[in-house]
Amino acid sequence: MTPFSLPNPRLLRVDLRGNSMMARAGSMVAYDGQVKFDKAILGGEGVFGALKRKATGEGVPLMTCSGTGAVYFAQDAAHVMILPLQNEKLWVESSSLLALDSGLKTNTTFTGLRGVSTGQGLFTTTVEGTGNVAMLSHGTPLELEVGPSYPLFVDPDAFLGYSGQLQQEFIFDINWKTFVGEGSGESFQLKFSGQGTVYIQPNERK
Amino acid sequence: MKLNPSNLPHNDNVNSYAFCMDVNGEVFIQKGRMIAYYGQLRFESLGSGPLDMIVQTAFNSPLYARDFIVVTGKGQLLLGDRGRNINYFDLEDGNLTVKASYVLGFEKNLVCRQSIMPGYLTLLGTGKFLASSNGPVHFMEPPVRVDEQALLGWADLPCPSYYYDHAHVRNALQAVGTLTGVRRTGEEEQLEFLGKGAVLIQSSEL
Amino acid sequence: MPKYQLINEKLLEVELSNEEVLAKRGAMIATTGEIRFAPAALGNEGMQGMAMRAVTSEGMGLMRATGRGTVLYARMGMHIHLVQLTGETLYIESSSVLAFDNNVRTGTYFQGNSGGVGGIVRGAATGQGLWTTTLEGRGDVAILSVGELIALPVTASNPVHVDPNAYIGHKGNLQSQVATDVGWKTFMGQGSGESFQLKFVGEGTLYVQPSER
Repeated sequence: MTPFSLPNPRLLRVDLRGNSMMARAGSMVAYDGQVKFDKAILGGEGVFGALKRKATGEGVPLMTCSGTGAVYFAQDAAHVMILPLQNEKLWVESSSLLALDSGLKTNTTFTGLRGVSTGQGLFTTTVEGTGNVAMLSHGTPLELEVGPSYPLFVDPDAFLGYSGQLQQEFIFDINWKTFVGEGSGESFQLKFSGQGTVYIQPNERK
Repeated sequence: MKLNPSNLPHNDNVNSYAFCMDVNGEVFIQKGRMIAYYGQLRFESLGSGPLDMIVQTAFNSPLYARDFIVVTGKGQLLLGDRGRNINYFDLEDGNLTVKASYVLGFEKNLVCRQSIMPGYLTLLGTGKFLASSNGPVHFMEPPVRVDEQALLGWADLPCPSYYYDHAHVRNALQAVGTLTGVRRTGEEEQLEFLGKGAVLIQSSEL
Repeated sequence: MPKYQLINEKLLEVELSNEEVLAKRGAMIATTGEIRFAPAALGNEGMQGMAMRAVTSEGMGLMRATGRGTVLYARMGMHIHLVQLTGETLYIESSSVLAFDNNVRTGTYFQGNSGGVGGIVRGAATGQGLWTTTLEGRGDVAILSVGELIALPVTASNPVHVDPNAYIGHKGNLQSQVATDVGWKTFMGQGSGESFQLKFVGEGTLYVQPSER
């Protein structure tokens, strides 16, 4: 695994020793040593993936960073959370993705209706395998567990991603909807049930 | 740390930006501030019929009636406010006046009224309430002069009055600039607090 | 000498006993005691300085606080850091200067001189102008950053590259130059905001913020 660390809550440091990793384009704030930056595409799933991204707006420009040195990443003073994946799969909003080990496989999957209210694509990015992932969160992120006896309800604007064996449903509370209508209130909630972890931020998406 | 219903804090901050409220009955919260919850909760507008009695006793501000909702049921409610810090106050037969958009939630045994100071709400009685702030809250004792933009509120104090820098007054008398062209900043116009009590300021002027 | 103390990461208290402090206009959020405010121009550098500011728009609106009591300063929820100067010069973007006092001399510095093209390109890209504010002397200076300030040491054997949009300032004996990483340029030229990096060489400290202007 490429070492990821947080010198402060809003700054990611990645130590490269001749290997490479991927990061959101434009998020590098400083580096030392010999590091090269090249254009990359999220997914790596060929022409079909590119078409899918174009249709959904889920594409986030990435770059490949390779070489030897310490590279520092940050984005809009958002908090950074490091998730070490051990042969696991993570579902993440692409706008919340900051960096990932190049050994991880990414893809985009259809997740349903979410895009209607948040302007997010209908697709979520999946990251799979073994390696570090760094996610962005406006405010300190929270990791909330879901178990068979305790489903979790989440405001879609606060939702960052999830891992584990979870089912995701959209709950349209009629009562809730009638008065929210205008403005920033949630018109529906996301319900997660099963066994896994949901990542949220104490904020609306920016 | 991964959180779940058995290790979430009870009526306390999860971190600086998120708060976990144990709901068992009815609680007032600002619309749109729910980020997640466990359990069986409903979110209802103040206008919904069955709540009439609670609203009549606890909420006395038509101007802000649409900005609040009532949470009913039993569960653990996580609140966040656009990445602002969240502060928890315990009132004992007291009164606390807070900028209306920073009042995040309060127990139904408190009474919420519009302050004579435009844009502020006053909470009276005994109970707990939540207020958000830009940066940590700093408490000061009168006499103190505060830039209104940085003010969060005040407790057990007479209403403040405006204090103007003398040069500002002189300029106004001579009709030089300030009233029309020049931007007025906290240095020229301040709120002055006298008497006994506490002044709450935010760590930011906006 | 005014006493500077951080109440928290975003709130600065300055204690005055018949002294004065200069701070960014609008950053005062509370006072106790008897404090008076008056508009102030940047620094003590006279006519030449004024002319330079007029040309460069590097001038920052300052307020001079005098009297006896305390003044609290904060700015848009930005993080505040105290940098102790012991005779050296701090080069800093004027938008990141919060407060300083008479123990510190201010000036403007033409970044274009440092690494030639480097300064010019940097100014053009960031809209910050080619001029940087300098603070020199002995004493505390309060500076601002969006998110926690990152202080990166630069040594002769370890030059550091930075994104010009995240750069706030530097201290010590450093020279900047435009890094011409071709791969980066061709890639970043495609609308993502950065088309080059700045390379700092020498001995000193580089200040960067975890956000881009």
